[in-house]
Amino acid sequence: MPSKRLDQARPFVTLGVIVVAWLLVPVAVKAFLRASFFELTAPITLAASRIRDLQDYWSLRLHSKDELIEAGRDLARLNASYELGVQRNAELQAEVARLETLLRLPSFTTYRYEHARVARRDFSGWWQRIVIRKGSNFGLPVGAPVVFTGGVVGKITEVHATTAVVDLVSSPSFRIAGVVEGDTRPVSYQGGINPGFAPPTGVVELVPLDVVASPQAPKRLVTSGFGGVFPPGLMIGTITRAAMGGDGLFQSGEVRLDERLGSLAEVTVLVPL
Amino acid sequence: MAATDTNLADRSGNLVETHKAYDPRIVFFHFLLGALLVTLVAGLAYQQLRKVGVYADAERQQTQRRILYPGPRGQIEDREGRVLVGNRARFSVRLLLDALGPEFRKEQERIRRNYLAAEDADVPSYAQRMKIARATVVQRYLDRVNAVIGGAAKVDADDLNKHFERELLLPYTLIDDLEPAQYARLLERLPVNSPAQVYAFSTRHYPYGSAASHTLGYVGATDEVELEDFPGEDLRTFKMKGTMGRDGIEKRFDAVLQGEAGGAIFRVDPAGNRINPPIQQVFPKQGRSLQLSLDIDLQVATEQKMEENGMAGSAVALDIATGEVLVLASKPDYDLGRFVPRLGAETAASIESRGAWYKRAIQGIYPPGSTFKVLTAIAGLRSGYITTESTVNCPGFYLLGRRFSCHDGHAHGETGFIRAIEKSCNVYFYKHGYDMGADIIATEARRFHLDRPTGIELLHETSGMIIPDEDWKRATQQQPWVGGDTVQMAIGQGFLVVTPLQMAAFMASVARNEVWTQPTILRDPQRPRQRHEPTGLTPTQYGALMRGMEQVTLTGTARILSEGRLLPRIPGLRIGGKTGTAQKFDKRGTINIAWFIGFAPVENPRIAIAVAIEGDTPGEETGGGLYAAPVAHALFKTWAEKQARPPGAAPVLFRSE
Repeated sequence: MPSKRLDQARPFVTLGVIVVAWLLVPVAVKAFLRASFFELTAPITLAASRIRDLQDYWSLRLHSKDELIEAGRDLARLNASYELGVQRNAELQAEVARLETLLRLPSFTTYRYEHARVARRDFSGWWQRIVIRKGSNFGLPVGAPVVFTGGVVGKITEVHATTAVVDLVSSPSFRIAGVVEGDTRPVSYQGGINPGFAPPTGVVELVPLDVVASPQAPKRLVTSGFGGVFPPGLMIGTITRAAMGGDGLFQSGEVRLDERLGSLAEVTVLVPL
Repeated sequence: MAATDTNLADRSGNLVETHKAYDPRIVFFHFLLGALLVTLVAGLAYQQLRKVGVYADAERQQTQRRILYPGPRGQIEDREGRVLVGNRARFSVRLLLDALGPEFRKEQERIRRNYLAAEDADVPSYAQRMKIARATVVQRYLDRVNAVIGGAAKVDADDLNKHFERELLLPYTLIDDLEPAQYARLLERLPVNSPAQVYAFSTRHYPYGSAASHTLGYVGATDEVELEDFPGEDLRTFKMKGTMGRDGIEKRFDAVLQGEAGGAIFRVDPAGNRINPPIQQVFPKQGRSLQLSLDIDLQVATEQKMEENGMAGSAVALDIATGEVLVLASKPDYDLGRFVPRLGAETAASIESRGAWYKRAIQGIYPPGSTFKVLTAIAGLRSGYITTESTVNCPGFYLLGRRFSCHDGHAHGETGFIRAIEKSCNVYFYKHGYDMGADIIATEARRFHLDRPTGIELLHETSGMIIPDEDWKRATQQQPWVGGDTVQMAIGQGFLVVTPLQMAAFMASVARNEVWTQPTILRDPQRPRQRHEPTGLTPTQYGALMRGMEQVTLTGTARILSEGRLLPRIPGLRIGGKTGTAQKFDKRGTINIAWFIGFAPVENPRIAIAVAIEGDTPGEETGGGLYAAPVAHALFKTWAEKQARPPGAAPVLFRSE
């Protein structure tokens, strides 16, 4: 009879033994196991991502030739305007370099651009992050800024062999020093608590009192470049509301972020040189 | 079988318990137990129902802490709404010590193991190890901050432990007064959930540096941060330091400027560490702003001119109609920016040694010198001893027991009323002053309120002004009044002393043809024109007085204002005034006080001023025309330029930033 009772308790005993064993495992082993888990699951994530790409490819193949020709024309026009922009940028860069030399100013941090496809999106009320299809195999470092056509995407928080985790600008754990476009005084931006299907928002603090922002007249919030992580002038979002804080010194407000953050397919990692 | 039954009967006698239905001894115990049970239940009910509040309070006091934050002070603005004293954000990186409990304990354990491993017999006590651990952990965080901003700050272990023991729930300041680029870097580089965070708090900001520093005053730190109607007065309360006005407007109107404190009640763990979020929270509110009557453009222009010659002195300008003070300058003064975040001993010693605490505009008592002749003239005209046609032959001195010399020893010859004022002829006023007597002059001076403080809303206005007469001299000097005292008084010398603010109010009153102007430092756009008792001069007498004072600035002792040689002309502005050069005896010897009182425009007086400059070398001539009039010129010129500009277009002439 007692042996039968012991048999019944065996699962609980086993669980207890495992828990105790896990608690006794050294931290280094735990970290290794955690990293290994990511590496083991990475091929699955990548495979799923590539299957989605293939799916997109075949869905694109269904378009008619006329549609493709029309899209090609649109693309050519877009390319022409970008070409002009590239030339203009080259001129400006040369001018900036000349002024830096003339005024003996330190150069802005230069970056190498690494484009990466988004493999997985992981959104919740607590965090907002994406997994991209490049990792240490492309020399991506932790902390590198990630951008897209709409501005700031976020910052790399974890790097694995073939993947990297990016903490999105909408995540509460993401903070950056920004400036209101046209101003030089730094303000603090932090991601907000964002429910799954709501438009992403963030909060801005330390906004000078003379900055007026409202839904009718929003202000663009861009990166300041002061922090040394992001280059200056990248779009963070638009300040749609600013009200005086309790300290009477600054305003606090809400920042509306680019809604495309929820459907990112490709991003660019700025790897500091 | 029978034998068996017998055995059973025997055994039953041993095995079966029998009870009596009633036993008095048992009943006693029933009552006893019942009583004990009732006592227990009553005690329990008493403790749980009756004393529930006491225990709830005890539990609350043990597990909750209250923090009070000061509210930012209100701004002080000039009459055009420009901020004279504002609040500036001061950024610091601070560490939440109460969030570091586990790290401290871990570090303490590591230190203990190290000592044991080293087989050191002198292992520090637990308390000592905790102190070392705290300093080590905090330095570790500070090193991370240093790495981000490129600093090399070190932790002050004593200061840290003091903070830990007394103000655990308040963040500990690692680095104070960060530059914008530094705090921006920290915002971006410090993890969001790090115990080290960037904080902004309010400090006083003085955009105009030392301008009007005596008037504005300064603030000092205080622990007296109170929040009314905020619960938890019985809880252990931590107060962040607030500020309190210590001098000037900051002190006088502290109740207005003081912000409303905010507060929060937090639950804490057994080690005293805060558990977020707060149970209750009230945000602080900024104090009300105060608008002064000062015009910072005029104030700065006046002070800049005063600083050029580097002499001590003061200048006051009033709006004639309302009595609002436009300028209240006193030199030497101090840079209010040096009081932030606190006044250092070295700065305080420097201010002390330069005599810069002294508010000469309201505390400086000087003989008014020849500027007083305006009052003597009014007294003479009203009493009939002087007429607008009266003449006196001035040989350059007046004999009354001894020789009383005329202004600069000049012989003015046959001198009439207007020329006497224009040339500041002492002999004219000696003679008429002596004829009318000291009582008439003193009575007139009292009618113009020169014997009492003006009552302006500023602290520490002196009450040491003196309008002497026979009774006063007998009471204070134990000597009789003599004729020499009268003639000295007639030209603003002798025992007579007044403040520059009084003389400005006097000038404004004369310009309005009234006997009193109540000066005020507060701006009120709806303030009506002041109306007081008229001087009693006839239009002819008043006209002659005005002409005499205008002549002073055209061809008289203050002609520097209009002749365009040393100072540029002020186009279209007619100025009336009177200079004075008084002698004052102090420990250095006899020094001159250069005076100028005046008003403008003559045809419609709107601004009245008084300037008093102290000579810095005993025995050296420091004339009112040469030293005080240029300050008046700068003031009038700036005022005239502002009047010529359309409203709202007045530029700021000077900023310290």
